[in-house]
Amino acid sequence: MGLKFLIVDDSQTMRRIVVNSLKNLGYDDFVEAGDGKEALVKLSSDESLNFVITDWNMPVLSGLELIKAIRSDEKMGKIPVLMVTTRGVKDDIIEALKAKVNNYVVKPFTPAILREKIDAILASNGGSN
Amino acid sequence: MMSVENMSQLFAKLNDLKKVFSYGERLIPVIHSLGEFMKETVPLLENINKSIAESTSKIPRASNQIQSVTSATELATTEILDLVDVLNADLDSIQKCTSDCLEKEKDKEDFLRSLIPNLQKENAKAFVEDFLEKNRLSSNLNSVVDRIKKMKDDTNSITLSLQVQDITSQQLATVNHLIESVQDKLASLIEDFDNTNINDSNDKINLPEGATFDPNARYSKSSANQNEADTIFNQSMQTASQAEIDKLFN
Repeated sequence: MGLKFLIVDDSQTMRRIVVNSLKNLGYDDFVEAGDGKEALVKLSSDESLNFVITDWNMPVLSGLELIKAIRSDEKMGKIPVLMVTTRGVKDDIIEALKAKVNNYVVKPFTPAILREKIDAILASNGGSN
Repeated sequence: MMSVENMSQLFAKLNDLKKVFSYGERLIPVIHSLGEFMKETVPLLENINKSIAESTSKIPRASNQIQSVTSATELATTEILDLVDVLNADLDSIQKCTSDCLEKEKDKEDFLRSLIPNLQKENAKAFVEDFLEKNRLSSNLNSVVDRIKKMKDDTNSITLSLQVQDITSQQLATVNHLIESVQDKLASLIEDFDNTNINDSNDKINLPEGATFDPNARYSKSSANQNEADTIFNQSMQTASQAEIDKLFN
């Protein structure tokens, strides 16, 4: 099964940049959400979504809260989550790790970094996705 | 009849009273100058209060202007992204066209070469080779393909550089948050001074509801930030894994 990404960011610009970068990496299946709450609704209604790329700072429900909600859910608990954020300080990274994020990208990112992290996540998941 | 002792006590009291009066006499000019000072200070304080009130009333305009800068840059970024998408679509179509031309060029060459054995003419091979050499487009087309690839890389770089909009909007949101805090402090100061509620005025800061931002957001193309994050992430992950192993065995 191919990857179907859920891209979560309150900035429309950032969502488009992530989508464009993924297209350049050869992926072509995406769904977008403007905040964590919308992301959870989309995850619940579309079981084919199998990879989440999320920002941290978002209104309504933050990226960190989204990861916690995903991990606490029996159905979607194992979906890989990549955090793409401006927050690069140690405490933030550790907090994200405690929430069980799969990997961490600091903005501004490059497609090479995005590919490296997606590949690393897929490799650690045994390529199951 | 008063005793001598009582009389001396009375004189002592009177003496004290005299001292109080003479002290009061010395105090009168001080009180007078204090009054004068107050007279001069009150208008000054009123002026300060007026200035603070005026400045405070201008804060929402400054804050809203910052917000409009964020909106304008977001709109401009969307327009640039739209154009980049159109450019990329055009480049894709040119790339496909050029690839088709290259393929046809090769077919043409193969076809002409295949004709050589069938041509009953002397020097047919030399003739065909000469024709192909003079009409060969493949090197030009390959150069076009290379240029297209470079142009696509450039448009991708433009797209990636537009991440600056997200980062600067977070920086501006941080400034707006600070401005809002300053306005709140000044407003409470004015309220304490003359019971004016500055927040009742028509000029209000219109920040997007629930806006969140990273106060430390910064735009840097250096890979140092990512490397640092990777180091912290990997170290913490190892520590977490070890803790999980320890938990299993204990």
